[in-house]
Amino acid sequence: MKIERREILAAGGLAAFAAGFSQTLGRMVDGFVAAEEPRIAEGRHIHGRSAAPEYTVDPVSGEFTPNPNQQVSYTACLGCTTLCGVRVRVDKTTGNIIRVGGNPYSPLSTDPHLPMKTSVKESLIAMSRFQDKGLAGRSTACGRGNAAMDQMNSPFRVLTPLKRVGPRNGGQWQPIPFEQLVKELVEGGDLFGEGHVDGLAALRDLNTPIDAQAPELGPRVNQVAVLSSVNDGREAFSRRFWNKAYGTLNHVGHGSYCGGAYRSGSGALFGDLKGMPHAKPDLENAEFVLFIGTAPGNAGNPFKITGAKLAKGRATGTLDYVVVDPVLNNSHNLASAEHGRWVPIRPGTDGALVMGMMRWMFEHDRVNTAYLAYPNQKAAEAGGEPSHTNASWLVIAQEGHPRQGRFLRGSDVGMAIADADRYKDADPYLVIGPDGQPVSAESVTEAVALQANGLQVLIADKAVLLKTAFELLRDSALAYELPEYSDVCGIPVEVISGLADEFTRHGRKASAVAHGGMMAGNGFYNAYAVVTLNALIGNLNWKGGFVINGGGFRDAGAGPRYDLDGFPGQIKPSGTPLGRNVPYERSAEFARRKAEGKPYPARDAWFPNAPGLGTEWFTGALRGYPYGLKALILWSCNPLYGITGIRPLIEKELADPKKLPLIVSVDPLINESNAFADYIVPDSLMYESWGWAAPWNGVPTKAGTARWPVVEPKAQKAADGQPVGMETFYIALAKAMNLPGFGPEGLADMDGKRLPLERPEDWYLRGGANIAFAGKAPVGDASDEDLTLSGVDRLRPALEATLKPDEWRKVAFVLTRGGRYQPVGEAQDADHPEWQTHRFSKPLWLWNDTVGTSRNTLTGKRFAGCAGWQPPAFFDGTPMRKVYTEDEWPLQLVSYKSALQNSYSIATRITGLHPDNPVVVHPADAAGLGLRTGDEARIQTPGGTARCTVIVHEGVTRGVMAVEHGYGHRELGARAHRIGGQSQPDRPDLRAGINLNDLGLADPTRGGEAVWVDAVSGTSVRQGLPARLLRA
Amino acid sequence: MKSDVSPSAVQPRSASRRAFLRNIPVVTAAAASPFPTMAAARGKHQWAMLIDVRKCIGCQACTVSCIQENAVPEGSFRTVVSTYSVKLTDAAQPAGTYMLPRLCNHCDNPPCIPVCPVAATFKRDDGIVVVDGDRCVGCAYCVQACPYDARFINHDTNKADKCTFCAHRVDAGLLPACVETCVGGARIFGDINDAEGELARRLKAAQPQLKVLKPELDTAPRVFYIGLDERFAGKVEGQGTLWKPRAHHG
Repeated sequence: MKIERREILAAGGLAAFAAGFSQTLGRMVDGFVAAEEPRIAEGRHIHGRSAAPEYTVDPVSGEFTPNPNQQVSYTACLGCTTLCGVRVRVDKTTGNIIRVGGNPYSPLSTDPHLPMKTSVKESLIAMSRFQDKGLAGRSTACGRGNAAMDQMNSPFRVLTPLKRVGPRNGGQWQPIPFEQLVKELVEGGDLFGEGHVDGLAALRDLNTPIDAQAPELGPRVNQVAVLSSVNDGREAFSRRFWNKAYGTLNHVGHGSYCGGAYRSGSGALFGDLKGMPHAKPDLENAEFVLFIGTAPGNAGNPFKITGAKLAKGRATGTLDYVVVDPVLNNSHNLASAEHGRWVPIRPGTDGALVMGMMRWMFEHDRVNTAYLAYPNQKAAEAGGEPSHTNASWLVIAQEGHPRQGRFLRGSDVGMAIADADRYKDADPYLVIGPDGQPVSAESVTEAVALQANGLQVLIADKAVLLKTAFELLRDSALAYELPEYSDVCGIPVEVISGLADEFTRHGRKASAVAHGGMMAGNGFYNAYAVVTLNALIGNLNWKGGFVINGGGFRDAGAGPRYDLDGFPGQIKPSGTPLGRNVPYERSAEFARRKAEGKPYPARDAWFPNAPGLGTEWFTGALRGYPYGLKALILWSCNPLYGITGIRPLIEKELADPKKLPLIVSVDPLINESNAFADYIVPDSLMYESWGWAAPWNGVPTKAGTARWPVVEPKAQKAADGQPVGMETFYIALAKAMNLPGFGPEGLADMDGKRLPLERPEDWYLRGGANIAFAGKAPVGDASDEDLTLSGVDRLRPALEATLKPDEWRKVAFVLTRGGRYQPVGEAQDADHPEWQTHRFSKPLWLWNDTVGTSRNTLTGKRFAGCAGWQPPAFFDGTPMRKVYTEDEWPLQLVSYKSALQNSYSIATRITGLHPDNPVVVHPADAAGLGLRTGDEARIQTPGGTARCTVIVHEGVTRGVMAVEHGYGHRELGARAHRIGGQSQPDRPDLRAGINLNDLGLADPTRGGEAVWVDAVSGTSVRQGLPARLLRA
Repeated sequence: MKSDVSPSAVQPRSASRRAFLRNIPVVTAAAASPFPTMAAARGKHQWAMLIDVRKCIGCQACTVSCIQENAVPEGSFRTVVSTYSVKLTDAAQPAGTYMLPRLCNHCDNPPCIPVCPVAATFKRDDGIVVVDGDRCVGCAYCVQACPYDARFINHDTNKADKCTFCAHRVDAGLLPACVETCVGGARIFGDINDAEGELARRLKAAQPQLKVLKPELDTAPRVFYIGLDERFAGKVEGQGTLWKPRAHHG
């Protein structure tokens, strides 16, 4: 229907909003403006305090009229680790954020996302009512993403450098000038009247070994360690400072107490235990997806796009899915129950379910053996498969052979391999050739035998039994009968077989995925099992199957425009990482114990198959194993809240400066961890910060999200006028210590011309140039209109001053669009439309001999090298239920992610909406105690006791109590700190609920001195804590 | 608006048994279609919303964006997603999640209007039910009269308050905040009278499944649902919700 513009004016709409625009607070009327303010809407005042619209679009002509008092900027959210592209609507007169939505260019917020060439104006029109564009092109922010803006004006923000007054964790601080902060931290001294504290300059000892008897530990500089959270697009800058310029080896994130067990299990299958590649279901094109211990649409990463595609798939009927989890959550939806099902499971028994499924698949010929028989990528692709596995590779299976569990290599059977190359990449893996004898796996051009059938080869004149990886996995799956698996996980045999049947009925358009539910005392093997399911149907790299991320655009690389990677004087850190995630067998301790005739047990656990482990840092450092720390930097992380069981183990020692002389935090807020800091340096927050982020996973096209200060940072300005934040702090430290890679000649362009690194813009804008020019052709130029509408014009002076004339409008182009994004249509390969464009081409390791030949450092026993069922256990292999029996601890605690709250969003409007986290208890478990919904109760574990409220319903496995993460805070507003003479607001409501991590266990097989972690991945155990429930 | 953000335990009356992946009681077919009649006699536009419950993931993006857009005070809601954990007695799984986005229904026969003693509440020509803040005396008769608990007294303004379909945005050619940010794409907004528009087309296509809340009251809501389970169309029986959003933090 046609509507004349005049008619709309007559209705009062546009005229009214013109009035709205003239107001200063971005709100309509009432309470903010004078009584004589023009009335709106038929002369009646109906809009209350609603915000004035950011622009208008004529619904007939599409004519666009901006609101000159507002700005809509595309940047990144930090409300969770997904780091979605968002649009932030700013009141230009106050700098306040009015509301946040999605960035329509970003595939994390929009399905399908807009092409980059769309102008900013067109992108805004694309979200309006004009031609119903805003419905089809809807670009969203989730509940938390909408609420996170509340942190910008939070009264709990740290805005000046703080120095503790009184003891650690005393809640009293003194604001200090930035220059004093830098001087004290660099030079040290008697900073607190408690005796001398070494400064960072003195601690940067790159030569003296930590322990002359154990030179493998590395130089003393490693005793300065940096714990961060997630790569929010700024980690490269932090690593440049701490690893490359300062020289410490120790800089790790939060993965080991997040979902690291899943990542490690995935890393085992993908053959990289440090980088831990992983894949996701292609929800857009899948027919069936099995989610185990992960809750699509309830939480997870990428949260929104997973939820949106799940919703679309089940509503249109293209997608069926099953969620296996001890807790029912928002991934289920009764309105489309015919397409989604919840299967309750006992905590930490996912491996039993999955190995049962595998057994059924092996026994019913539902394993894709044709696919598995391709031993290399070339042969696979020639056979029409976009990926391959090592299923056919031969493994030494001779009991007692020194290389048992290792793959048979060319040098083992007399191939000519240089000594230096033996058992390295040049020494080929072997498969059974046409003549029945081993040949190089790389050399064959077609499918090979999957079974060795008892084949033996002569190695050093001895007959040695061989098995294929396929046979070893099958043996593992057949280790238990289906009813035994069923007894363990509590899932009926017919459901296990039904799942296996369904999973194998969709060709490549099925997949299985897991995540946080794997954080159990056997998490690594549970996760390895789940991801191995995918290999058995050959779904990797297939449209509709298991697909890998498109990846990001690299800002901090060596070019194409600027070298943000290396620099003269760069340090290459060396030594043993604090988390002991390297082989114990290379340590001086091992050599000593071996010489004494007893190489095992080591003093404590080592994790050669794990990445950097924050879980092990605190107990390790405070007990001096492998070494103690002199300084700890906590950058926007909260390990005391997040590591299950850590607090009671360390809080006393952490408060003692003699045990750890210096704790410095860089953070915009005071949390449970940096409450123990000696100094807190304010960091930029949310929409005032920089960063070049990339989707963590789940986006099949290449994508890079730009985060830039869409509003002026609120933190105190240093003497040079720059706001204090992580970057300015490190730049100042580097200057004070004269470190390389920073300062007037810190950077270089690709011609080798030295350039300054003295401001955050020097780094991020040049990183932006690397992104804008990446690939075959650079992006286009931003127009003046793009700059004005997006608010990037505020950065124009810096863009022009920092970048070259042919660069700045291209970097501005990326900033105005909130990132750089590959077109949505390029997810699949143009030449192979059923294959993904971005493919993982290395083998999938059904058998991982790195895992399968490493040893438990307390028992000396080898770990299993493939997926298999083993019960949750402590480090030395003692099953948890042997120590904490079901008689004594009849229930189990699990943690689940909140659909709303995260670990740091407590002081936002989410808390008003959802103020507490009552513990979900099954009616059968509550009945015995006479507990009803709303009752107070007490939870006990071997690690602690907490009072809680219970909610009683059937949405939890019997015998399980479920705790929603994000509550039970002691900080982040839950305690009013005194800063200078001022007290923060008292908000007892922010203390509501409980934190499961306060109830975690110490590992009794490690002397009760370390938290319970998975023995392979080193990840904290929060799923399946033995517990009992008591009346309050 | 009162909210049931949290799961509350609900006992369904009946459910049918289905195959392995289809063995959960599903929404029963609507008895009668509530598809609206054209309102040609009134304004050209007749705004309405369609909510496809199957697409709701309960993330409360709508709830919070509405709060930010409209400065809704803490403890009150113009829209919210009630979330239920439903006990299933005759299905393979013991319980399921049900989500129900709620807001003012912008009824064609709104019970809130006749009770207003000062004629502050009225229906615009385009069908949007609004409150004139200048006239409203905050007596809360309308709050009591609304069968959907969609109204509240805004304790910042002391006026009756409720969803306006973001009339200020709609009049500017934009979408309501909740619709713009609906992650699952469950909320569709548009003009019933625009036959070519997305809303009218979707309403038409979904006609056999369309439902409204409390149809027996003949309020003629302008908020339509796909996937509305009849057990939730009226007052939900069962234990009271536990995580009541708080009224106001101290």
